[in-house]
Amino acid sequence: MQPATPLPLSLIVTAAALLLPLLAFGVIMLATRSRHRLSAAISIGAAGLSLIAAVYLLVQHWQMQAPLVFQTVWLVSGQMAIPIGILLDPLSLLMLTVVATISFLVQVYSLGYMAGDPGFGRYYGCMSLFAWAMLTLTVSSSLLQLYIFWELVGLASYLLIGFWFDKFSASEAGKKAFVMTRTGDVAFLLGLVLLWLQLGTLDIPVLTDPAAVAAALSPGMITLTALLIFGGIIGKSAQFPLLTWLPDAMEGPTPVSALLHSATMVAAGVYLFSRLFGYFSLSPTAMAVCLAIGTISMLLASSMAMVARDIKQVWAFSTISQLGFMLMGLGSGSLFAGVFHLTTHAGFKALLFLCAGVLIHRFHTNDMFEIGRLGGRRLKATVVCMIVGAAALSGLPPFSGFFSKEMILGQLLASGHPTAFLAALLGAFLTTYYAFRLIFILLFPLETDDAGHADGHGAHHGAWGERAMIAVLVCLAGVTVVLGFFEMSLHDFLARGLALDEAAPAHFTWLPMVAGTLAVAAVLQAWFEFGRKKARQIGWVERIPILADLFGQRWYLDRLYRYLLDTLVYRGVSRLFTANDRRVIDGALDGLGRSTIGLGRVVDWVHGGMIQYRLMIMVAAVILLILFIGWGG
Amino acid sequence: MAYQLAGFPFLTTLLLCCVAGLLAILCIPARHARAIKIVSAVFSGFTLIVSIYLFIAYDQQAGGFQFVERVAWIPALGIAYFNGVDGFALPMLLLTGIVFFTAVLTMWELELRVKEFFSLIFLLVTGVFGLFMSLDLFFIFVWFDVSLFPMYLLIAIWGSTRKEYGAMKLTLYLLAGSALILPAIIYLVVHSGSMTFDLLALMEGTRFTPAQQRIAFFMLYIGFGILAGVFPFHTWSPVGHVAAPTAVSMIHAGVLMKIGAFGILRVGIFLCPDGWQFWAPLMAVLATCGIVYGVFVGLSQTDLKYVIGYSSVSHMGIVGLGLSTMTIDGLNGAVFQMFAHGIMTALFFSSVGHIYDRTHTKAIAELGGLSRVMPRASSFFIIAALTGIGVPCLASFWGELAVFMSCVSVYPVAGALAIGALAVGALFMLRVVQKTCYGPPLEKFAGLKDITAALAVPRVILVSVIVLFGLFPGVLFDMIHTATMHLIGLR
Repeated sequence: MQPATPLPLSLIVTAAALLLPLLAFGVIMLATRSRHRLSAAISIGAAGLSLIAAVYLLVQHWQMQAPLVFQTVWLVSGQMAIPIGILLDPLSLLMLTVVATISFLVQVYSLGYMAGDPGFGRYYGCMSLFAWAMLTLTVSSSLLQLYIFWELVGLASYLLIGFWFDKFSASEAGKKAFVMTRTGDVAFLLGLVLLWLQLGTLDIPVLTDPAAVAAALSPGMITLTALLIFGGIIGKSAQFPLLTWLPDAMEGPTPVSALLHSATMVAAGVYLFSRLFGYFSLSPTAMAVCLAIGTISMLLASSMAMVARDIKQVWAFSTISQLGFMLMGLGSGSLFAGVFHLTTHAGFKALLFLCAGVLIHRFHTNDMFEIGRLGGRRLKATVVCMIVGAAALSGLPPFSGFFSKEMILGQLLASGHPTAFLAALLGAFLTTYYAFRLIFILLFPLETDDAGHADGHGAHHGAWGERAMIAVLVCLAGVTVVLGFFEMSLHDFLARGLALDEAAPAHFTWLPMVAGTLAVAAVLQAWFEFGRKKARQIGWVERIPILADLFGQRWYLDRLYRYLLDTLVYRGVSRLFTANDRRVIDGALDGLGRSTIGLGRVVDWVHGGMIQYRLMIMVAAVILLILFIGWGG
Repeated sequence: MAYQLAGFPFLTTLLLCCVAGLLAILCIPARHARAIKIVSAVFSGFTLIVSIYLFIAYDQQAGGFQFVERVAWIPALGIAYFNGVDGFALPMLLLTGIVFFTAVLTMWELELRVKEFFSLIFLLVTGVFGLFMSLDLFFIFVWFDVSLFPMYLLIAIWGSTRKEYGAMKLTLYLLAGSALILPAIIYLVVHSGSMTFDLLALMEGTRFTPAQQRIAFFMLYIGFGILAGVFPFHTWSPVGHVAAPTAVSMIHAGVLMKIGAFGILRVGIFLCPDGWQFWAPLMAVLATCGIVYGVFVGLSQTDLKYVIGYSSVSHMGIVGLGLSTMTIDGLNGAVFQMFAHGIMTALFFSSVGHIYDRTHTKAIAELGGLSRVMPRASSFFIIAALTGIGVPCLASFWGELAVFMSCVSVYPVAGALAIGALAVGALFMLRVVQKTCYGPPLEKFAGLKDITAALAVPRVILVSVIVLFGLFPGVLFDMIHTATMHLIGLR
């Protein structure tokens, strides 16, 4: 018996923050699913308490120097011990707060957005599951535990993307998301198992300790496992080549997209990279691959966003490209740049999706031209919030995105990656262009037909629901405006607790000027093509048919995968194996059965009992005998 | 030593519960169908209670075989009625108890020849319980055949979809298996030097030469392996599952396939460790083939039950892979997976059975939108599918994880392939879920009622077991570990 030590308060608070959403999930799914308001109250209550707990922890440990680890064992079997625990360090505390904030706000917003949906209770149940999985992933103390909750995050997003399962597109998108991320997870799990075999433990503090890792693993092994784990990140964070599930994932309700694209699911991939940043840093190859994949994804997704008409799709593509941007920052060697952009992005991307949600909710269409025509600009608060979000996405000062983007650009330059730097500048230009293309299309429609809409549908889901939605938007817009100014304090917070040996973020005095000018130029171009009085609202890409086709078809990646899946898997291996089963294996056995029956027939014939056959055989035998004897004699 | 008993004979009680149930059913006139069902539920409930008690009462500190009871039967041949359970047998008894009880409840709406059906089920389960607890080779063989014989009638009378073909195929396959097992047992007994069928005496007292072990192990592996659905002897299983009525599919896939794996473990591995070592690579290859093959063939199936049949082939491959690693974790994972797969498949077949009872079709193309029409019934199906995919916090995940972890260390390529099959497995299951449960509600199913409370009970039990062992896998792992340590320690 160990002496009973009082449990540390931080442990209790963290455990409460994690378990409340699980409890809410269980209660809602088992008991209150059909009682909509109660389910929502339970779920939001749990999310709210988690948020309070997360903020409390963040404030409490703001000055923390060394990480806190609480660990116990979930399962032991022979050599395998699976720990479950909590790792509190600045990174997990920051992410915990981000996740709790976004999921709380999204749940409040959903009160209005999902009102009247027959699956309201189920929706909140799944939201709680999502929150639980993501929060626990964030504070996982071992990689295996992280993997477990990583899979649960995937499960929750499968359930939520396919929430309106009546629609074929929705159930298809859910399935696609799960299977594509699973494909990446195969690599992740393999890497994890290899790592465990070599190292004997998967505790994150050990993995990120360069001395311990270098002592146990050869450089080749480090690179191999790092790349395999990176495979999981590619799947989860929708990077090239596994990026095509994310644009489809907008089939889920818009608040789900907001959650999925900002703080959970896709963010989990980048979070994993920053969690294992110390490990990845040991392998220059892995870092280079990360940088390359990030760059490719960023450019690909930006190009796709330039021609999309669907408002959610634009933001979905921008998510892929911003995630790529974060990976570029991380891959070029700066933990803080990546994490800071992850944080700011969570705020403004949630904002953008939720704004889009208000418009979609009101006008029942996703098409930005249609929304513009129906009078989207009349929703002033929403449009203003959306402009704030778009400005942050574009990296316009003084919004949060400006600071974090500039930090990554500076890092790329400082670490000596000029090509990636130029690519990033191009990406930033394109991002601003498509963001403001969308804004201008909304603001300045070519024709208007807003007679009955703006007022007629004004208050159809109860004013308080609408008000909750707007309040959430304003909240997030506020965060987006101020968050950038906390750059230095966040950096100090992270550096203190993680013992980062990065110097203060690299600043080039000319960089903000260049980046800012570029962004303004992109806005101007968007204005020229879509905003000004005589604009025909046809972008330069659309004037080049080849590019328009290529971008519009998403570089034909989807078609390629569909084709490969159909020919290789369904029509190839699967059909071949089935044929083998029916023809070869069963055929052989049926043949065996038939030949047994045939043999039986022969024996049966011989034993027929017909006297004449017996006589005949007897005579024949006697003749043969005589012949044989005669011959021999 | 003619007679030996350690305390109250719980194991015999367990068997007697089944026999008493069988006799009670036989005594009730066939027209009292409801009484027969209640009696069946009560006696199967007894078996469940006893198996839970045994699981709890087993002393894990002491380990080894407990609740031993032994009565000499034919001393001249060294045959004894000899029962005992260890950490391998107890999870299987528990599994059998759960699946048996829920299977009986699942058939609550049966109308055709109720008396015959339940008496055959009781006979079948008696054989299964007997096999899991027996420590005498002769009895193991007898119980094996006792559990096979009722299968033919159950499928041929109450089945559907080519039932005569399915029943005949299954019976022939399994008899071919027992035609390998019996010579192997006799071979071992003859070469032991002492005339005894006592498994423990054979294991500890004699040392077979490696060559003898190789011969015997191979025959036992194939013989029992046929029943475990080892590739390429698996084709009886989907056909048989499809033809069988719901409860029989549940018991069949949930428990009978485990007999195969358990037989390999109990007889093959216990008696022929060198043979095991020799054939382990072959086992790994066949198991990996089964895992990969099962998911790919499952992808292009058009019948709901075929899909599940092939998923069983794939999941039982994981059990085989675990057994082939010859490591503690591998064995633990394999036995855990046997348990988890049993519960999961039972849930699968019971939910599919319900869908079939209501919609009268198993063709995937004709189904759709069931989540709107029967939300509860289809959520059971979805949970089973998610368990099959290996979602964490549902039981299967832990078994798979332990097997994969040990497999990568022993057979890296096989391990990588098996892990790779996870992605295809997800596609395969979610495709079925999408086509049956999701989509717009179909006109022709508009009038269907959701599952009734009485029929929901067995499914809820199965789901709770899956979640329970998904959240607290240690309960089962600790139990299995006592036996694994003992086995590995002996080698």
